[in-house]
Amino acid sequence: MSNWHDVGVPTDFSEDEPRAVMAAGEPVAVFRLGDELFALHDLCTHERVPLSEGFIEDGCIECPLHQGLFDIRTGAPRKAPCTVPVRTYPIRIADGRVEVDVAGAEALA
Amino acid sequence: MAETLTTDSGTHAADRDVFFPQPDGSRVPYAVFSSQEVYDREQERIYRGPHWSFVALACEIPNLNDFKSTFVGDTPVVVTRTADGFACWVNRCAHRGAIVCREKHGNAASHTCVYHQWNYSCEGDLQGVPFRRGQKQGDIMLVGMAKAFDPAQHGLRKLRVAEYKGLLFATFSDDTPDIEDYLGPQMLPWVDRLFHKPIVYLGCTRQYSKSNWKLYFENVKDPYHASLLHLFHTTFNIFRVGMSARSIPDATHGLHSLITVTKPSVETNTASAYTDQKIRSMQDGFALEDPYVLGQIPEYEENCTNQIQPIFPQLVIQQIHNTLVARQLLPKGPSNFELVFHFFGYEDDTPELRELRLLQANLVGPAGYISMEDTEATELVQRGTARDGDKTSFMGMGLDAPDQTNSNITENLIRRFWAGYQRTMGY
Repeated sequence: MSNWHDVGVPTDFSEDEPRAVMAAGEPVAVFRLGDELFALHDLCTHERVPLSEGFIEDGCIECPLHQGLFDIRTGAPRKAPCTVPVRTYPIRIADGRVEVDVAGAEALA
Repeated sequence: MAETLTTDSGTHAADRDVFFPQPDGSRVPYAVFSSQEVYDREQERIYRGPHWSFVALACEIPNLNDFKSTFVGDTPVVVTRTADGFACWVNRCAHRGAIVCREKHGNAASHTCVYHQWNYSCEGDLQGVPFRRGQKQGDIMLVGMAKAFDPAQHGLRKLRVAEYKGLLFATFSDDTPDIEDYLGPQMLPWVDRLFHKPIVYLGCTRQYSKSNWKLYFENVKDPYHASLLHLFHTTFNIFRVGMSARSIPDATHGLHSLITVTKPSVETNTASAYTDQKIRSMQDGFALEDPYVLGQIPEYEENCTNQIQPIFPQLVIQQIHNTLVARQLLPKGPSNFELVFHFFGYEDDTPELRELRLLQANLVGPAGYISMEDTEATELVQRGTARDGDKTSFMGMGLDAPDQTNSNITENLIRRFWAGYQRTMGY
C-alpha cells in the first residue's frame, strides 16, 4: 500500500547537497543525480548519524562520521565501515510536487 | 598485601642496581621482584623485544571479526580474526591515545573509539574520522581535518601474529624468529603432543596475585615444591615412588621448559586404581569419597599424569590428568600479575572425556585442589623480599647435576631460566 508524502518542489533539491526532509515522521535524505531524485533513510546503518550531513561523490553519499559510502541509487554499502544497506524509498514528481512513499520502503534487492 | 616500601628520600628500597652474584642462576637478587626499573626494562627487552607472547587460543575467536582484548606485557592489545587470518593491534587510538576496544571479547567488523569516534577496521586500519571534511553551517563550510591528513598513516600500531596449531602469539619485534624456531626442538614435540588435533574452548578462570610475574615462572619450573606445598598431593598420596620424571630446559636460552610425570605402566590409572589401592592419607581418616576426580582416561601415547610447559614469557601449557589448559601470565606492574587459565578440550572428545575434563578443572585455577597454594606462595615471597633488594635467594637443589633431566627434585630449570633472563636483560 502506497503512502505518498509531499516533501517539496523539484527545485528544492540540488545536485550539490542532500536535503533532509521528514515524511510521516521518518527522516529521509533526498538526493538529485541529474534529472532524477532519490530518497534514502536519513540514518547511517553503521553509527547513528544523518546521511544528509554528508557529501555526495560519484553517485555515493559519504557519511560525515567515518567516510563510509552508500550508493545513492540503491542504498548499497560501497565502503567500510558501512556494511549494511540503507533503506531506499520510492520518490516521484506528481503535479509539480515531490512525493516520497514511506510505506513503500524497499529492502535492497 | 605487598606494601610499597619507601624511604625518606622517596626512593623504593628495592630500586638498587641489580647484581646476580652467580652466572648459573642459583642466586637471584630480590630486587628483580619489586623494582620498577627492572620492570620497565622487562617491558622493553622482553615484551617489546624478540619474543613471542601468547595472546589467545584461535578457538577463542572462531568466527570472522571475532575479537579478544588482552595484553602483551602490560600493553593492551586486541586480537581479531580477519578475512586473511589474524591481526593484533595495540588497543590505543591513534588520535589521543584512548582505549579503543573496551570489551573482553565479541564480534565486530570495525572498532570505534568512544572519545571522538575514530573508526578502525578489524585489521587495525583507520577507516574514517568524524567531520574530516568539515561541517556545513548554513551556507558556510567550517574547515575539518588538516588537508595533509592521510588515514593510512594513522592506523593502530600492529604487531606480528603467528599461529602454531591453534595457539596465537604476537610480537612487537621484527627480529623475533619464526614461531617454530622460537619454540625450539626440545619444546615442539610436547606442544605437538597436546595440540595434535583440533581443540575447542571450554572457558577460563581469572585470578590476580599480588606478586611479581617471574615468581610464577619460577613456580612452574619447580617440581621440587609439588609434593611439599600442595597438601592435596600429600594428603591423598598422589605422587609416589616409581613415577618417572622429565625436567627439560630449552637448549637455546633456557627460558622455556618442560616438566612431566609418568606413572609406571602397570598402574595405568583410572579412578578404580585409586580405589583398589585404598588410597588414603598418611593421617588416618582422610579418603576421597569419590576418587573419580583423580581418574584418567588414557589419550596419549605416553600416559603422563602431568605436563607443565612454560613458554616464555606469557604461556604455560598444562595437562594434568585429563584437564588441558593454556595459562596466560600477564604482568601488572612489579608486584602484581594476572593469571588466566584457558581450559580446552578436543573437538572429538567423547561425552565421558569432556565431563572428566570439566570435573578436573577443579584441580587447577584460583581455587584448584592442587594449585591454589601456588599464588599464595608467590605472594609470601613478594612480601618477604620487598625490603631487601640486594639479598638473594639460594637454589642449590640438583646444582651438582646441571644436566640431569630425569629428576623432579631439582631446581635446574629455575637456574636455567635465570641464566637466560640475565642474558635477555643484560644483567
